[in-house]
Amino acid sequence: MKRILYIILSIIFLTICLKACIKRDIPPKERLNNRILKTDVTFKFPQESRNVVLGGVDYLQSQAPVGKFGGEMVVSTIGEGPKTFNPFTSKDAVSSSMSGLMFDSLFTISPNDGKVIPKLAKSYETKDGKKYIVHLRQGIKWSDGKPITADDVVFTWNKIILAGLGNTSTRDAVVIDGKLPKVTKIDNYTVKFEILKPFSPFIRLISVQIAPKHIFEPVTKQGARAFDMFYSTNTKPDNFVTSGAFRLKEYKAAQRVVFERNSDYYMLNKKNQKLPYLDKIIYLIVGDLNNEILKFEGHEIDVISLRGSNVAPYKIKEADSDYKIYNLGADTGTMFVAINLNPRRNSENKFYVDPKKQYWFSDKDFRTAIDYALDRKNMVQNIANGLAKPLFTAESLNSIFLNTKIKGHERNLKKAKEVLINAGFKYGNNKKLYDKFGNRVEFDLYTNAGNTEREAIGVMVKQDLEDLGMRVNFKPVEFNTLVNKMTTTFDWDMIIMGLTGSPLEPHDGLNVWHSKGSLHLFNQRTEDDKKDDRFTFEKRLDEIFESAALQTTFASRKKLYDEYQQIVYDEKPFIYLYSPVRMVAVRKKFRNIYPSQLLGITYNIEEIYKDKY
Amino acid sequence: MIKDIFEGILKDKFATIALIVLIFIYFCLFFAEFIAPYSMNYTDRQLSYVPPSPIFTIDENGKLSKPYTYNYKRTYDEELMQTVFKLDRSKKYYLKFFARGEEYSFLWFIPMDRHLITVDNDGRLYLLGGDINGRDVFSRLLFGGRISMTIGFLALFVLFPIGLLYGGISGYFGGKIDMFMMRFAEAVMSIPSFYLLIILAAVLPSNMTSSQRLTLIVVILALIGWAGFARVVRGMVLSIKNQDFVKSAKMAGSSDLRIIIKEVLPQTTSYVIVAMTLSVPGYILSESGLSFLGLGIQQPDASWGNMLKEAQEYINILYRPWLLTPGFLIFVAVLSFNLIGDTIRDILDPKSKTR
Repeated sequence: MKRILYIILSIIFLTICLKACIKRDIPPKERLNNRILKTDVTFKFPQESRNVVLGGVDYLQSQAPVGKFGGEMVVSTIGEGPKTFNPFTSKDAVSSSMSGLMFDSLFTISPNDGKVIPKLAKSYETKDGKKYIVHLRQGIKWSDGKPITADDVVFTWNKIILAGLGNTSTRDAVVIDGKLPKVTKIDNYTVKFEILKPFSPFIRLISVQIAPKHIFEPVTKQGARAFDMFYSTNTKPDNFVTSGAFRLKEYKAAQRVVFERNSDYYMLNKKNQKLPYLDKIIYLIVGDLNNEILKFEGHEIDVISLRGSNVAPYKIKEADSDYKIYNLGADTGTMFVAINLNPRRNSENKFYVDPKKQYWFSDKDFRTAIDYALDRKNMVQNIANGLAKPLFTAESLNSIFLNTKIKGHERNLKKAKEVLINAGFKYGNNKKLYDKFGNRVEFDLYTNAGNTEREAIGVMVKQDLEDLGMRVNFKPVEFNTLVNKMTTTFDWDMIIMGLTGSPLEPHDGLNVWHSKGSLHLFNQRTEDDKKDDRFTFEKRLDEIFESAALQTTFASRKKLYDEYQQIVYDEKPFIYLYSPVRMVAVRKKFRNIYPSQLLGITYNIEEIYKDKY
Repeated sequence: MIKDIFEGILKDKFATIALIVLIFIYFCLFFAEFIAPYSMNYTDRQLSYVPPSPIFTIDENGKLSKPYTYNYKRTYDEELMQTVFKLDRSKKYYLKFFARGEEYSFLWFIPMDRHLITVDNDGRLYLLGGDINGRDVFSRLLFGGRISMTIGFLALFVLFPIGLLYGGISGYFGGKIDMFMMRFAEAVMSIPSFYLLIILAAVLPSNMTSSQRLTLIVVILALIGWAGFARVVRGMVLSIKNQDFVKSAKMAGSSDLRIIIKEVLPQTTSYVIVAMTLSVPGYILSESGLSFLGLGIQQPDASWGNMLKEAQEYINILYRPWLLTPGFLIFVAVLSFNLIGDTIRDILDPKSKTR
């Protein structure tokens, strides 16, 4: 009996196996394409907000369509959540964006063209680029009812920013020739900023948030440590005195941050009703990207940023879903291969880079050959799932200073080999590449382990360079080890890295491109390196960055920044690969969404309203 | 005793199946170059994340045919922003057995170019689809398995001699020596191994190849792991050393070390064999865990752990299930080792039999 059972079972098993092997080749019927999808590429913005005076109060009137009041928007933040709510001590993006919601800055930038437009301040004027007169709004108030005046601005600048309290990055950026700007009060609603030389990034730099003097003054007197602890995440929500459209309601560590509407905000809609429309903004703190996606699927969050292969499944479902996907164009992020050109020795008198390798890396032709050998098209296609753009310039593709004359090139192995041979490299047996001293060309390529995207790029770069006859040891290493290599030991050959820049201000790249910069990866100097051993192109880059910031007109700056991009493209200390495209999905029930390449989606949070859907 | 074990395994149905499965896996891994249609790093960039090649045995007219496949053609759908693979039905590629393909060295020294199964040169046979770089997942599974499935045995070679000798000496001499040695072993046991590994990953010189690194990491794991094993051995030795044959060996004037190695330790064999079989799957899992975290085998080398890492993304689990095959193989291999280990324990220690 048992045996019969076994036989029957094995016959069933065999039949299943056989059935799996026999498969009929049936060509699929052509299906009619009836998709009704369209992708927005052109951005339309409402007119800029205007200043209006109503009952002696300077309001800012939004020109966007009038909406409905009420409702909430749930967004998410990946990671641990905010570290502080103090805009002057925040060092990470999450803390900065949350404190940015609570404290308004003097100016902001236009989503359309990146121009500086008024926010907390009413307007500014300057004649010579050295003296800036900033006019404040009359009659607007802190959340505790005290008026916002010139005293607050002067206090914020003189006692917090210029005094070096908290995060000093603004202070560091406004130092010109070793001198700090002078900030003085003219009258209750007018402030004067003075600098020695015209410095074009200045107006953007003074757009920082303003602190209420009557709250912050006692704290600044207690010194830096007390200031760092002030308005931390432990502060009770009721104790915050803020100026923004939203104020903190609840903070639960590692869970959520809830902001509620400021009912006495200075922005109005066209019917002169006080904005913002939304009652609440809730930030959910999620662990990782997968978690965030699941929350979006579960309708727990309303906005999500999508990249690469994550876009397709949402795009397919978009037509009959409750969200809309916006294409924000190329991101500010860049992916590149950095080559170590460092010719110096370390404290033990050993070369950071093997002299044999230095000879190759310092050869412009060698770097050009690498550039021509890289297959950017397939990187974009395979790794970013087509949602990226090949990149050849140091400025990101959405930068207003992008040098559009640099067109880039396709992969061209033949040309790459020609360049190498003309530069004295030789091919031996088995198509292996040797330099003119007979050394096999072999080096290490690093990136941070655990990042699928960069590891996949590394595998491709390795294959591309091995097609040139080079031998590449690809080594994904732990992130901290990599950072240590880049900033301290300098013992690397090539690294696949990514950086983000600002689409509006190339001067933010100073720390990368200036020879004294802290991220001058391709030829990093330590503080002890006093000798001037800059390459010719490094000298020119230094000059460009020093002088371009002092130019006042856009055209004259553009000319200099075009030259810098051309130099980087010609010299190739960094070989740029691609820039990912940013896509954001937002629930359709939210209106007044005007996606901006420069600012993203929720920059106009006051104007966004929730429609019944 | 080996004979007993084998007979025992063959009597147990589950253990027999497990043994056959393991032998089959190791056989495939050993002849990986021959069985795999492509080499580990063979890349076709047009086939990133390509679905598995379909194999047809009945052609479009409904007639039985030699098995054949089609190539996939990649297009990009701008509107849906996704890569679309369609079968290119213009040309059939018949499967060829024992035909010429990529050259390799069979068993590391015999140059050969025959593969178990291939298609014509311009055809692509990706039996289990492609990965992000357009490499054949099936071939990489075979090459990756070599590392994943042997790493456990490497650890055993480090762990067991140390554990046996340490436990043997400690138990045999007893007294203060025992007391001191066991406290030391307990100290070793309380090292938090996972955090040690994360620190090691940062400290280890980066000019090591990934297999060197993994070997070193596993050896270090084994260097921590011996303590628990030594403690059990010591307990067994404590009872063995009072038996008559040990006493008589002492009378005969054998040296202590000789007694430990020749007389005492052989009595622990049954426990050792069971412990060994049961600890192999642990190391297979820890390899996959380490590679998954980015501490073990790194790209472009393959191992089941780092291949599984690619499937980690939400989107890959949903739309590219073939990337999960290494996980399935890890599951099968670990389960098989555990089944065999259990059976061996029952055979060697009939008293503990609960079934």
